[in-house]
Amino acid sequence: MKLDAVGGGELIVIGENIHTTRALRRKGRSIVDNNGVESVAYTDTSGVQRHLPIPEFFKERQEYQQGQVKHVMIAVNAAMSGGNQSAEAMTYLRQLVDKQVGVKADFLDLNVDEISWKLEEQKAAIAWLVTTIQEMTELPLSIDSSNVDVIATGLAAYDSTRARPLLNSASLERIEALDLAKEYNARVVVTAAGQSGMPSGVDERVQNASRMVDAALGKGFALRDLFVDPLVFPASVDKVFGRHCLDAIREIRKKYGAEIHITGGVSNASFGIPGRKLINEVFLILAVEAGADGGIIDPVLSNPAEVFGMDRSSDAYQMAEDVILGRDEFCQKYISAWRKSEVGEAR
Amino acid sequence: MTELTDIVNETIRREIEEYIERPDEVERNVELFARIRPLMQEISAALIEGDDGTVDRLTKQALDEDIDALEIMDDGLIAGMGIVGIKFRDNFIFVPEVLACARAMKAGMTYIEPILSASGVKPLATVVMGTVKGDLHDIGKNLCIMMLRGSGFSVVDLGVDTSDDEFIDAVEEHKAPILGMSALLTTTMPNMGKTIEAFIDADLREDVKIMVGGAPVTQEFADDMGADAYGKDALDCVAVAKGFVSVQA
Repeated sequence: MKLDAVGGGELIVIGENIHTTRALRRKGRSIVDNNGVESVAYTDTSGVQRHLPIPEFFKERQEYQQGQVKHVMIAVNAAMSGGNQSAEAMTYLRQLVDKQVGVKADFLDLNVDEISWKLEEQKAAIAWLVTTIQEMTELPLSIDSSNVDVIATGLAAYDSTRARPLLNSASLERIEALDLAKEYNARVVVTAAGQSGMPSGVDERVQNASRMVDAALGKGFALRDLFVDPLVFPASVDKVFGRHCLDAIREIRKKYGAEIHITGGVSNASFGIPGRKLINEVFLILAVEAGADGGIIDPVLSNPAEVFGMDRSSDAYQMAEDVILGRDEFCQKYISAWRKSEVGEAR
Repeated sequence: MTELTDIVNETIRREIEEYIERPDEVERNVELFARIRPLMQEISAALIEGDDGTVDRLTKQALDEDIDALEIMDDGLIAGMGIVGIKFRDNFIFVPEVLACARAMKAGMTYIEPILSASGVKPLATVVMGTVKGDLHDIGKNLCIMMLRGSGFSVVDLGVDTSDDEFIDAVEEHKAPILGMSALLTTTMPNMGKTIEAFIDADLREDVKIMVGGAPVTQEFADDMGADAYGKDALDCVAVAKGFVSVQA
């Protein structure tokens, strides 16, 4: 298994498709009128066209009114509630699992933070989701939350006779998450977040991540149990962000050698700009080149088997690389190319 | 009635025609730009295009022509930024393009600000801004601060992971009439409510208008927490703050 291989050069994919934050555009082609019911159109695992209705409660929410359909949130809610759409919602969740399995994801990352802002509801949802998804796949799960209590609840629900889970994430601001990982024999994502703020450059990223790695090693974790996330920030906000992250990857790889895993939330790179898929994919390519061996990605949208075959001499690739490396001021060239449909999907 | 053709500047005419969809906003902008002098329209147009060099040059030229600094700020810079805000809200432009416009705004404000403060013109208001307790995310908050400063507010930035006491002390120390709180995580959002309660307990709630924002925050949540307003993005944050001090957004 590539998880235990040393320097195997194979990408470790943490599939992020089962996140309650995931959204579809209401105006996009996935949202259709199905006999008078506004629904999310999808194909189930056996290739049949199906429809997940958008429930009334969601239509009253601001996300919907601003043009977004949080389809995973809708599915988790409907499946958990056991109402008349619960079978459809289960089918929806199943295809999210199966499609990621089909493109060889290594972990399925589960995040229910947006199901509610109430901690008790988040805990109930993660426990339910962990159990439900484990009934659908043998793949190990990555339990992801910004709250350690939610992660603890998810790990407690995890069937530990299966492959070891991944805890996403521990950092200096919540170093106690390492003990939680130890307790549940989990692998762990350690981020470069500081004790009281986000890292501002390469050195701070490397220092914060190193303190976490060293703390984990002190608690008996092996290097290959650790996934360092150097934190990917949006290229649209500051042109130095891309390089900071990539340079930090290089230094961490140099410092800890081949065994440690280096990953990251790749889609953060493209926040705030259109044509996100291409930016994400080029960022992944550059991250791997810098020494990362994995990513927290949507492997169905960006199948690694295809991403790494991208023509790097193409104009589109070059433009995306320029955005990430800070050579396209205010992303002007990239956005202008997107408007002419030269990169990525048209509006 | 004022018509689009009453606006001299071609760029401004095109911007209104192509990007402004709501009738009330069209009307307001047509009236505004038809009223202001051509040089102010040119400054607005350059700002909308994110052309900081031209804004710099035209602002200097306007001052050399003895145009009042306040007029340049209101009719040149802020009027242009109004159109930028509408385009961003309606998804015609994106974050980096707004940042380019903000840089252009700053190019103009560099000349305007010292003149205004020397002549005793006060900032619109002081806004205390911070990310709530337990949350280390500051990119969105920093965008808000940049836009607020560009629009004539004075901002006290408390950074991230801000405690109730830090918010309260800063509002008191700076006699700030406005407080802005940001959260990126659903798990830290409820801390907005706790801070608002702390203001009530300290008997200061009536003295300050509180606005909240951040990716998972909604109007409904803001209402539940007892905030005065919700801003959906950095430009909305400016509109809300202006609403608090009764300035036309």
